Amino acid sequence: MVTSITAIFGLAAVIGGASGDLSVEEIVKRTNHAAYYQGNNGRARVSMVITDGQGRKRERELSILRYDAPGPDGEQKFYLYFHAPADVARMTFLVHKHLDRDDDRWLYIPALDLVKRIAATDKRTSFVGSDFLYEDVSGRQLDQDHHELLKTTENFYLLKHTPKDPDSVKFAHYTMWIHKKSFLPTKVEYSDASGEVYRVMTVGRVETIDGKPTVLEATMEDRRTGSRTVLTYKDPAYDIGVPERVFTERYLRRAPVKYLK
Amino acid sequence: MITSTVLLLLLALLPTLSADRFPYLHPVSIDTDPENMLPADEPVRVAHNASKKQFSLHDGIVVGIVNETHPRGVFNVSTLTKVDEITRFAMELEGVVEVDVMSLSTVDSISQAGPGTVRFQWLMAKPPADQAEADDIRSRAMRIPFLRDTLFSADGKALALYIPLRNKNDAHEISVALQSKIDAIGSGDDGFHIAGLPVAEDTFGSEMFIQMAIAAPAAMLVIFLLMWFFFGNLLVILSPMIVAVIAALSTMGLLIVTGNTIHIMSSMIPIFIMPIAVLDAIHIISDFFDRYQHYRDRRKTLVKVLGDLFQPMLFTSLTTTAGFASLALTPIPPVQIFGLFVGFGVLLAWFWTITFIPSFLMLIPEARLEKFGRKERTGDGDSHDDGVALFLARSTSRGAPLIIAGAVLLTAIAFLGISKIEVNDNPTRWFEPDHPIRIADRTMNSHFGGTYNAYLSLKYSPPPYDPDSFAEGLAEKAQRMEEALSAAAEAVQQHLNSLDRGTTLDLLDEIDRFVRQRRLSSESAPKRGAWTTLEGWLDWAFASAEDDETPPADGRSELKETLASAAAEMREASSRYRSIVEEVAGQAPETSDDFLAALSLEIETISTSEDRWRVVGTMLSSVQQEKQAFKDPLLLGWVSELQEFIGQHPVVGKSNSLADIVKTVHRDLTSGSEVDYLIPSHRDTVAQTLEQFLSGHRKDDLWHFVTPSFEEAMVWVQLKSGDNRDMQDVVAHLSGYLEGHPPPVDLDEPQWFGLTYINVVWQQKMVSGMIDAFLGSFIVVLTMMTFLFRSISWGILSMLPLTITVALIYGMIGLLGKDYDMPVAVLSSLSLGLAIDYAIHFLARARQLHRELGDWDRAREAVFGEPARAIGRNIIVVGLGFLPLILAPLVPYQTVGYLIASILLLAGGVSLVLLPALMTIGQRWFFAGDADGSGVPEEAPAGSKE
Repeated sequence: MVTSITAIFGLAAVIGGASGDLSVEEIVKRTNHAAYYQGNNGRARVSMVITDGQGRKRERELSILRYDAPGPDGEQKFYLYFHAPADVARMTFLVHKHLDRDDDRWLYIPALDLVKRIAATDKRTSFVGSDFLYEDVSGRQLDQDHHELLKTTENFYLLKHTPKDPDSVKFAHYTMWIHKKSFLPTKVEYSDASGEVYRVMTVGRVETIDGKPTVLEATMEDRRTGSRTVLTYKDPAYDIGVPERVFTERYLRRAPVKYLK
Repeated sequence: MITSTVLLLLLALLPTLSADRFPYLHPVSIDTDPENMLPADEPVRVAHNASKKQFSLHDGIVVGIVNETHPRGVFNVSTLTKVDEITRFAMELEGVVEVDVMSLSTVDSISQAGPGTVRFQWLMAKPPADQAEADDIRSRAMRIPFLRDTLFSADGKALALYIPLRNKNDAHEISVALQSKIDAIGSGDDGFHIAGLPVAEDTFGSEMFIQMAIAAPAAMLVIFLLMWFFFGNLLVILSPMIVAVIAALSTMGLLIVTGNTIHIMSSMIPIFIMPIAVLDAIHIISDFFDRYQHYRDRRKTLVKVLGDLFQPMLFTSLTTTAGFASLALTPIPPVQIFGLFVGFGVLLAWFWTITFIPSFLMLIPEARLEKFGRKERTGDGDSHDDGVALFLARSTSRGAPLIIAGAVLLTAIAFLGISKIEVNDNPTRWFEPDHPIRIADRTMNSHFGGTYNAYLSLKYSPPPYDPDSFAEGLAEKAQRMEEALSAAAEAVQQHLNSLDRGTTLDLLDEIDRFVRQRRLSSESAPKRGAWTTLEGWLDWAFASAEDDETPPADGRSELKETLASAAAEMREASSRYRSIVEEVAGQAPETSDDFLAALSLEIETISTSEDRWRVVGTMLSSVQQEKQAFKDPLLLGWVSELQEFIGQHPVVGKSNSLADIVKTVHRDLTSGSEVDYLIPSHRDTVAQTLEQFLSGHRKDDLWHFVTPSFEEAMVWVQLKSGDNRDMQDVVAHLSGYLEGHPPPVDLDEPQWFGLTYINVVWQQKMVSGMIDAFLGSFIVVLTMMTFLFRSISWGILSMLPLTITVALIYGMIGLLGKDYDMPVAVLSSLSLGLAIDYAIHFLARARQLHRELGDWDRAREAVFGEPARAIGRNIIVVGLGFLPLILAPLVPYQTVGYLIASILLLAGGVSLVLLPALMTIGQRWFFAGDADGSGVPEEAPAGSKE
C-alpha cells in the first residue's frame, strides 16, 4: 500500500521562508504529499524487524491499507492487520486521521474478541512496539512546526523544522533531507535540546511503482537505546479500489482479506 | 630511605597531577565499588553483569520527596511542579540513562475513558495547573499497582525518582548536582532525600579521602605525644615517627605505582602500618631509655639493646608480615592487596627500624641525652609503673592457678560469644546514623517498598532435544490440532443445519458469532487454534459473499459445501505437514531451532496458496512460540504466586515483574475494575495485552522484565534493608518455597543478582576466606615460634595470648551483637600480628633472663623490669594511637579504632598476666630443656654469641 509505505516517513511540514525555485512552504507541501498522499488509496505488506541495542531481534508482519478523503491532502483513514507472529495475528487497528483534532483510533484484540476505542492525547507513542512513533507513520501536522530551508544541493533540499510548542514534543528540532525530484524525505534527524541527534530515519530503497516513487525500505534508529527498526514494504500498490466501508469498526473483527496481501 | 620514598611518591604523584605527561605511570585511582571485592571473572559477578545487560538494568540513585504537611501529601501543585523540574534536570545530566529515568513525569498511565474506550497518556505530561489536576494525577497513579510503593507511597505522602546511571561511580557527583538543583528550587515544605546503594558507596569513597587525611595524621599525633610523655626527648622520638611515616608513604607510593587502586581496604594501609612501624622502634627506644643511664654511652647501650632485641624484633616482624600476607589466601582481591602491602610495609618498617633508628640515635650528641633515660635505681621501683610491674610479677606467681582458671573461663565465654556472631554488612551503615545518607535511607524505606534492589532471574530450560522425539511431538500436536479442526468444522456444519434459511451474509454473521463464542470458551490451545483457523475461513467466505452479485436466496447448502471442502483441504494440509515433519526428522537437525527452521523452509517451498496452508502456519508458529515461556499464563501465574510469597518476608516491601504488567494492562483493556486484574488464561491474550504496552511511551520498560525472546524474565524485589543478613534471609526464604513449588514449565535454577546480592556473595567468601587465612597464618606463625624457641611447648605457649585475644575479641563482638563485617574480619590478622609480638618479646626475654639468672622466680622479677615496661609502653602508645579513629565519621574506621585498642590491651594484658602464670605453674616443664643448655634462643646479634 502506498500510503502506509510512504506514511512511514514521518513528518513533513509547511510554511516558512523562501528557497531558490520553490518556497519552503511549497517544498513542505509537496513532501507531505509524496510521503503520505500518493494515489487515492493503497496497500502494502510490511515486514518489521526490530533489533535492540544488544542485537536481539523481534519480527512483525502486518498489512496496511489507506484511504484518502477526496479533495486536497487532508483527512485519511488507515487499517492495519497483523499477520505474524501467530499470537498477535488477526489483531487490527483503525485510524481516522484528522487535521483539526485528535485522530480517532480503534483497536481489535482477537484473543478477547474486544474492540476498543483508543483515546490518546499525543501521537508520540511507539508504533506497534517499534522505534517508529505513531506520528512518524500517520504524519505530523504541518502547522505544528516552523519550517526553514537550510540549504539546497544538487539533489536535495535540507529543511529544518522547529516545533511551535516545544513542550509538546521531546525533540528540539528535526532536519529532513528531501529528494528534489521525488520529494521523498530520505533522511530525518531529530535533535534534543543540546543539539544531539537522538533519532534518525533513513530510507534504504526507493522504487517507482505505478509511476510513483515509493519507499521500499526505511529504518528508524533510536540512538539513546541503540535500538533500530527496519520496515520493508512488499507488493506496494496504489489505487486498488479499497472501499471506504472497510475503514469502519465492522471490519476490525472481520479482516478485509481481499484487500490485504 | 628518604630518596626511595620521595622517588616512589613522585612516581605516584606525577601521573596523578599531570596524567598526559606521564602516560606510562599509574595515577592515583580510587575504587569504592564493593563489587570489586570479587574478582572480575568471579562467576557470580559475571552472571550479575550478564543479567544486568540482559535486562538493560543500571544501578542508580533514588530521590525521595516527602510531604507530611500538605493535606494531599505530595500530590499538590507545588511539589509536583518541583518533581517535574528535577526530573527534567536529571534527564539532561551527563551519565544518566535518560530513557530509563522513572518519575511521575516519565511514565504512562492506561485508564478507562468512557464505555469501550481506553486512554493511553503520560501520567503527568506537565505539572498540574491546579489541585484538581493534581488530584487527577493522584487517582490515576493510585490505580497502577506497578508504580504504587515504587514510584509513590500508597499514603500519597512520598514519591520517588529513579535515576539510573551509566556508571555507578558517578553516583556521588550526580547526587551532588541533584542536591544543588534541589537547593536552588527550594524544598519548601517538602523533604528531599537522596538514597540508593551506589550513592552510599560512592559517597563513602569521597569521604574516605577526608578520612585518610585526618585520621592517619591524628593517630600519628597521639602516638607522638604519648612517646614524648614516656621518653621526654623530642629528638629521640622523632626517629620512630620518621620510620612510621616513611614506611606508610613508601608503601602507599608503591601501591599506586604498581597500578593498584585506593579501595576502602587499601585506604586503611597507612593506619595499619604506622602503629606497627613504631612498635619495634618503641622497643628499642624503651630499652635504650631504660639502659642509657646505666651505660651512659650511646654505642654500648645500643649494642646491648640490639643484642637483646634483634631476634625478637626480626621474628615479630616476620610473624606480623606472615599474618598479613596470609590475607593473600582470601579469595577477595582488595583484601589480598591490603594484606600483601601491609606485610611489605611492616618489613620495610623493620628494616628502617634496625638501621635508621640506631644511626639516628648515634647522631644525637651525647650532651642532648644528658637527661635522657631512666635513672638508675637501687631498690625496688618507687614509680607508678614499677609498682604495677612488681604487682604483676608477684600476683602472676601467687595467683597463677586463679589466672589460668580465669583465662579458661573467659575463653569459654568467648567461644559462646563466637557462636553468636552474626555475619553482616551494609554499605549504607558505613555512615553514622545521623548522616544524610542514613536519614534518607530510613525515611525512604519507611515510605516505599524499599531502596535496595535484588533481582531474581528466571530462565526457561528447554526439554532435551533429539530429532525423532521432537518430530513425534510435532506430529502429535498436528494430530490434535487436526482433530480439533474436524470437530470444529463438524460443529459448524451442525449449527448450519439448525439455522433457518437465509442469505449467505446473514448466515455468515450467525456462524461468525457462533465460532467466536466457541473459540472464547475453549480451554485447550488446539481447540482455540482450530476455531481461530475457522475464523480465517470465515474472512474469506465473507469476502466472496460480499462480492457475489447474485447471492442465492438460501446460502446454507453453498456454505456447507465450501466449509466441507475447506475442512478437507485443511486436513490434507495437516497430513502433508506431518509427512514434512518426518522428512525433516530424517535429516536429523542438530537443534530444535534448526529443526523448525528447516521445517519452515520446507513449508514455504510448497505453500503457494496462503489460505490452504494457514493451518500449517498456525501449527508451526505455535511450536515456535513454545520457547517463549514467559507468555505462558501458567508460568506467569507461578511468578505471581512467588512474588506474593516473597512479599511476605518482612524485609521485602514490593516486587515487580512481567506478571504485574500483564495484569494491569489486561485490567484496563477490559473492564478496568479489580476483577480483571489477573493473568488471562491464554497465551495469545497475554501476547496481545503486552502488544498494547509496547505501543506506549515506554515500551522499553518491558525489556527490563523479560527478554525479547520471552525465554528469560526477571523479578525485581525491593528490600527495605541492605543488610547482607536480610538479603541472605530472603534468599533462604525463597529457596525453601521453590522446593515445594516447582514451576509449571521447566526453568533453570532461579538466580539472584543485583548489588545487594553481590554484597552477600563476597561477604560469604570473605568469611570463609578469612578463616582459611587465619588458620594458615596461625600454622605458619606456630612453626616460626617453634623454630625460634626450638621447642613445641614454647611455640604453643607463645600462641596462647593471640589465640585468647582473638577468641575474646570475636567473642565480645558476638556477645555485643556487633556485626561481623569487613573491618572486623580483617582485624583477625592484625590480632595475630600484634598479639604474637608481645608474646615473643616477653617469652624471649623471659627465657634469656632465666638462662642468665638460672631460676624462674628471679627471672620473672627481671622480666617485669625493662622488657615488661617496653611492652607496656607499646600497649599504651599504639593502643591509644588508634583511638582518634573513633572520632571518624565513617563507621568502618571507628570499628578499626575500637578493635585495635581492644586487641592491644587484651594481647598485652594476656601476655603479661597469663604467660608468667603459666610459666610459673609449668616451670619444670618449660625450663626443662634449659637445664641441659639446649634450646635457648641465641643472644643477638646473631652470630655474635659470646
